Order: sequence, then C-alpha cells, then structure tokens
Amino acid sequence: MDVVKTEPRSTFLKDGTKFPYCKGCGHHHITRAIDDALVKLQLDPKHVSITSDIGCVGLVDALFDTVHSLHTTHGRSAAFATGIELADSILADSALKSIVVIGDGGAMIGLLHLVNAAQLNVDITVVLYNNFLFGMTGGQNSSFSPLNFVTATTPHGNIIPPIDLITLLQGANAGFLARKVATDVDLADTIAEAIAYPGFALVEVLELCTEYATRGNSILGNKLAEVMPEKTLDLGIISRKADRTDFGGAYKKKSAEMRKEEANGPAVIVPRYENGIERKTGIIVAGTAGERVQSSAYMLAEAAVLAGANATQKNDNPITQGTGFSLSEVVLSRQEIFYTGIDVPDIVIIASEDGLTELDSERIFQMASERTLFIIDESLQVPPCKGTVLKKPLRKKFKPSGAAFAGIITAFRNTGILPKEAFIDVAKLQKRSEYLLSIIERVFANK
Amino acid sequence: MARFRIRNGNQMIAEGALKAGCRFFAGYPITPASSIYKSMIDELPKRGDVAISSPDEISALAFCVGASLRGFKAMTATSGPGFSLMAETLQYAVMTETPVVIAVVQRLGPSTGGATQGGQGDALFVGHSIAGGYTIPVFSPSNPIEAYELTVHAFNVAETLRTPVVLLADKEVAMTSENVDYEKLPVPEIVDRKYFSPIGERSFNTYFFESPDEIPDFACIGGDEKVTVTGSAHDMAGRLQKNSPETVEVLKHLQEKIASHAEEITRLDSDLTEDADTLVLSYGISARTSREAVLNLSRKAKRVSLLNVQTLFPIPVKSILDRIRGIGRVVVVEENITGLYRSQIEHLFAGKEVVGVNGVGRMIAPEQIENAITHAEQRSDG
Repeated sequence: MDVVKTEPRSTFLKDGTKFPYCKGCGHHHITRAIDDALVKLQLDPKHVSITSDIGCVGLVDALFDTVHSLHTTHGRSAAFATGIELADSILADSALKSIVVIGDGGAMIGLLHLVNAAQLNVDITVVLYNNFLFGMTGGQNSSFSPLNFVTATTPHGNIIPPIDLITLLQGANAGFLARKVATDVDLADTIAEAIAYPGFALVEVLELCTEYATRGNSILGNKLAEVMPEKTLDLGIISRKADRTDFGGAYKKKSAEMRKEEANGPAVIVPRYENGIERKTGIIVAGTAGERVQSSAYMLAEAAVLAGANATQKNDNPITQGTGFSLSEVVLSRQEIFYTGIDVPDIVIIASEDGLTELDSERIFQMASERTLFIIDESLQVPPCKGTVLKKPLRKKFKPSGAAFAGIITAFRNTGILPKEAFIDVAKLQKRSEYLLSIIERVFANK
Repeated sequence: MARFRIRNGNQMIAEGALKAGCRFFAGYPITPASSIYKSMIDELPKRGDVAISSPDEISALAFCVGASLRGFKAMTATSGPGFSLMAETLQYAVMTETPVVIAVVQRLGPSTGGATQGGQGDALFVGHSIAGGYTIPVFSPSNPIEAYELTVHAFNVAETLRTPVVLLADKEVAMTSENVDYEKLPVPEIVDRKYFSPIGERSFNTYFFESPDEIPDFACIGGDEKVTVTGSAHDMAGRLQKNSPETVEVLKHLQEKIASHAEEITRLDSDLTEDADTLVLSYGISARTSREAVLNLSRKAKRVSLLNVQTLFPIPVKSILDRIRGIGRVVVVEENITGLYRSQIEHLFAGKEVVGVNGVGRMIAPEQIENAITHAEQRSDG
C-alpha cells in the first residue's frame, strides 16, 4: 500500500468536536478506533476518504478533519466508494484509501454492494457499526437482531435468527474479515490492519445502543454478553487472504492486452452504383432464429447504400433470442427516410413456417396491397391476400441458412431496383462469402 | 463525398460519449439499452478507461457518481425499469452537484411492459424524478446523428452545470440502423467541469457560490483540497444543516443554476414554413414521423411548420414561444396515451387550438398526424 509520511498526526478528528452520540453508545469507541488506526498508519489525509451511510453512523464522516468525506444514501455507501475506488485504481494514481462506515440496517439493505465489493476486491475498508437495531428511527429490529431481542418492532422478542454477514461474505471470497466488540482494546489495531490490507476488508464491530437496546433487554452496564450472539459468532480476525488479486490490477492487465487489438469499427460505405428505387420501399424478411434472417436483411441495407439509396433496418425476435421467429424490416428510399415503419409492405420474404406464423399474427397479409410482392418458400401456404405470391424452393435449394438471403436476391432480381454488383460487393466482405456469392449467381442464372 | 456507416441510435450514443471524453461507464443489461453497454465494454478498456458490469442499476449509477466525484466523466445506460431503481442515486447526484449522464432508452411500460416494443411514456417519469421538484436537464434525440450530438451536449451540460443529465432515447431511435454520413457528422465542442484553483487566500468550499446561478468550482476526492460531499441539506462547506439561511440558499441555488441556464442549454430543431397556421411539435421517434407528415402535407400545398423539441427539460419556454408566433394551431405528437409532454407545455399555447396525436403499443404513423391536422382544419372551417 501507499503510505505517504507527512508530519506525524496525533488525530484526524476535528479539534474539540463533541461526538453527537448518546452516553455509553458504542459509536464513540468505534469512531475513536478508526481515528487511532489512521494515526497508527499516518496516512496522508488527502489520500483518505471516509464514506458514511445513513443512521447515527451517517454523522461519522463529518467528525473527521482534512480527510475527504462523503455522506451518502441508505445502504449504498459501499457502492459509491466502489465507484471512487474503481476510478482511483484504474484511472488515477491508486493512492486513495476508502473507509466506509455503515450500520447493521444499511449493511442489509445494501447487502448486494458489500457482496459485490468483496467479490471485485476493491480497496475499501468497511467498518460495520452493528448495534442490532435501527437507532436513529426509533429502535426497530434489524436483520442482525439476536434471537429474543426486544426492540420497538419486536416487543415480545425477535423470532428470526440473525444474519451472519462474515460467513456470507466468505462466500463472496472477501479478502479480509474480522468481528470485534466495540470495547476491545485492540480494535484500532484490527481496523488499521484492515485499512492496510490491499483489497476489500470488513470489520464488524458489535456494540449496544444505549437508548433502545437497554429497553426490554436485561443488560447490566455494558455486559454485551447478556444479549450479544457472540457466543455463537466467531470473534477476531476471521479471514486474511494473501492471494486475492485486486480488481484494479487485474483490469489494467486485461485492458493492456486489449489495447493491442485492432480497431474494429463498422465498414465505411461509399456509394458507387445506381439504383432503380422509384418510391419509398418497405421490405419485410421473416424466418427462423439462427437462420441468418437479420444478417441477410442487414446485407440488403448495405447493398442499397452502396447503390446510393438510403436504408433503415430494424429487427424483431422473441425475447429468448435463439429460438422461434426472426424478423427484419428494411426501408429503402432515394430521399431521406423519416418514418421507419412499414404500413403497406412492398416486398415480403418468408423463409420458414416460424416467419409465416409471426407475420400472420402481425396481420401483414391484411396490410398487403396489389403491389406487394411475396417471395415465399415453396413449402408454405399463405392466407388469402392481395399482391403477387412467388413460391421458390428457398430452403431446399439454398439450405435454411441461405433461404432468407436467396429470397432477398430473388426479390431484387425480379424488381431490378438494386444492382447485382452491390450484393456481390457486400457478400464478398462476409465470413461465408463463397456461399453467399454462389447464391447470387445461382439466383440470377435461374431466370 | 459521402462516407456512410450503418449505425443505430445506441451506437451513436456510445460514440458521442467517447467523443465527449467519457472515461467511466457502468452498465447493467436491459433491453433496449444493452447495446450502449456493449459498445462501451468494447471500446473503453482499449483506451485504458473503465467499463464495468455492475450487479444492479443502483450500483451502476452509484459507481458513476463515485467515479465522477473522483474527477472523471461518467455514464450509465438503462430503460424504464432500471431507471426506477436509479431514482434515489440520481437525487443524490442532484444534491451533491455531481456531473453524470444517464441514457434512458424508453420501452413500452409500465413495469416490465414490452422489452422489445417502443414507447415514449417516460418523459415525465425522468423529468419529474427528483423529490423537492428540482429540474434535471433531459434531452431527446430523434435519429442517430442527434443521438451523437445530444450525447456530447449532455456531457457538456452535466459538466458545466454540475448536474445529472438524462438522455431520453427510445427503442425505435436506439435500435433502428440506418446509413449515417460521417462526413456530415457534427464536430461538437467539448467542455470540462471547472476545477478550483487556489488563488491568494481563497480556500476551498465544496459548494461555494457567490450568486445562486453560479456553479461551484470542483475539486476531486483524492485531490489536494479537502472535499466534503453530502446528500443531506447542507451549507456551502458541505456541513449537514437543517434550515440555516445559507442552507436554504444552497437549496434554491440547486434549482436556480439550472433554470437560469435554460435557454443556453436548449437544443431545438425547427423547420418553419412562412405563413403556416399549424405547427407540429414533437420529440424522439415521433418527431421523425412528424417530419414525414409535414413533408406529405406540404406536397398537398398545406403550410405546416415543424418543431423537434430536443430539450424536454428545463422546458425551453422562450424558444417554443418564439416559434409559435402567428401559429393558430399546435399539434403535439408523442407515443403515449395521455399526452405527457403536451400537459407540460399546453399553457404556453393560450388562445391557440391544441391537438394531441397519441398512441401506444406501436409507432404513430404519418397518416395519423396528417389526418389529425386535416380534421382540425375541417372543424375550424366548418
């Protein structure tokens, strides 16, 4: 870690600040322990930021002087700190140490952010002020309340076993985990070790809310043992992994490899052919997912632009992507295209039963006019409709994966509004160029 | 000579973000915004910049706010369901004056609605998403070039006004590919936030301004100035306070800094016809369709003007009033049931006839707009 030695500091807290906490509240101990840890480490304050959550713990950041401080939203403190650390470790000088202070309520509502930060292994240290309840809002029970704990909202005793966050975070491969009691004399040492750890660290500190925990629970003085579940929870440093890779380092390594990759932008198309498009032309290509329907329609749009036309293309398919119908709508025009919908289709290519069923459900056959040209696979039966229907052995002759493309080529051979050369040029740039070129030749040869 | 690429709105939003200097993107998958996320994942790491998958939309925006506070331009992209989750963090960005851009690609709502269906039902959802009634700038593109230009603009506005900005696209604009002439791509100016520089005795206060319309100078977390950030009501030093006069001044400033810059951040595209009695006002995908309807009507020798309102919020009152002078009828076209944006601007059209053209579940067709205008004309003639 980066430790920048400046003149030794005896405290990072604001001069003469009185803590805003009730007499006997564990927040005093924990906050002082964080300060003692910072003093022990002698970090440069401009390389420290304290991010607080909501609740009484939300006042902690403001008690500190010279270090950066953020007071955030309920449960989200770790997510904000993760964003800061991601930017710091990858885009900046990686010098920042982030400390997150959060209560037990915040830890549960924002559980995902703790799990995520642990999983990423970003360099943040979470100090969890666990007093087993919501203090600021009136002493309601939390997910950390022990069994039989009496709170404002468990007046007859809590019946839900408390969550064990440390065990949970072990499942997220957290690098450093500790559970302490607020009055432990070595609390500051443990927090210092957590801050120094180069990755995600969490120190859960058990404490009592003197305002609410003492009501209804038999507690004598600060005898935490009366209510604390520590008899069943492990205490001390529970996990300290030496082999965890920090996210920033792993990311930078990967991105350095990616930088060698060539730029892979979309092809530049400079129009070089003429087209015979007389009016705005709407084309619908329908077939089965995985049978190159949409990529064939995309090639049509490219060929049209190559021939000096304007083109729009949009796709539709079921949300499961790889099964069922696949649909593409292409609009071609010499003029700029504003409305991209097709109200009356000029050309409809149907390569499979899935495509036909979908077009039927979208009432395409009712929308057809006298000028609509249907190119359909010979195996299909179209419902009665206006327009010209041409049946072709698209699937049999050109394989299912070539059927949509063959249908497109057939349509444009018949209408003559786009030149064969434009399709050839586009096909040449495709991975399966040989097959696509053979489709173009066979369709044009077969008048 | 034209040099075309076939691009969709989402790809151009990503290109715009890169042009604007976005160095941090956090994403969570959602149709129809996912391809922005994919483009940024493909591009940013190559530049040594950050594109990260977040575990939910709350984290996505929180990561961006954190990165922006660390001093880097940041963006996320989502749709209505994801935006619902971001609302709290968005408000945090308002209160902490943190520049960040959120692309919201609208789909059919409510709830999961229609993931692959278009819609324009979120104008008020995003425009009125801040408790306390604060305005965040909302821009809406109607084609890929506007998507590019307005994304850069969104970053510029976010940076200069220190505010979250929403780029409100829609599925049809975002996911329809078309030939884009890169020779005609605008070359926008790129603006960065103003950093604090210590001059003389001047010390840094995180939220310092002299007059309420001023934008506080920025200093980053991790930099030389001690930064105090809070989402609670605060004074200029960032100290949490209830209602001290200074805190009330800060609260007013948060609105004033946006309102007072409304006209200079306004982007509009109008096509005004001399002596037109009717003006069609629209945004997003419906603005494109409106343009076609206006062209069709002009071929029938009808005089109709067009106003594509690319800036939805703050409502560009002066610019709209400028363009409706002499107009007797305003036709507001948007793909939602009740005329959401119309409800916000109707009061500007006192003494004029206001016609709404609306729809849900499918794109509004030019014919619908043309018919609405023809019927309105017949009504007023009869």
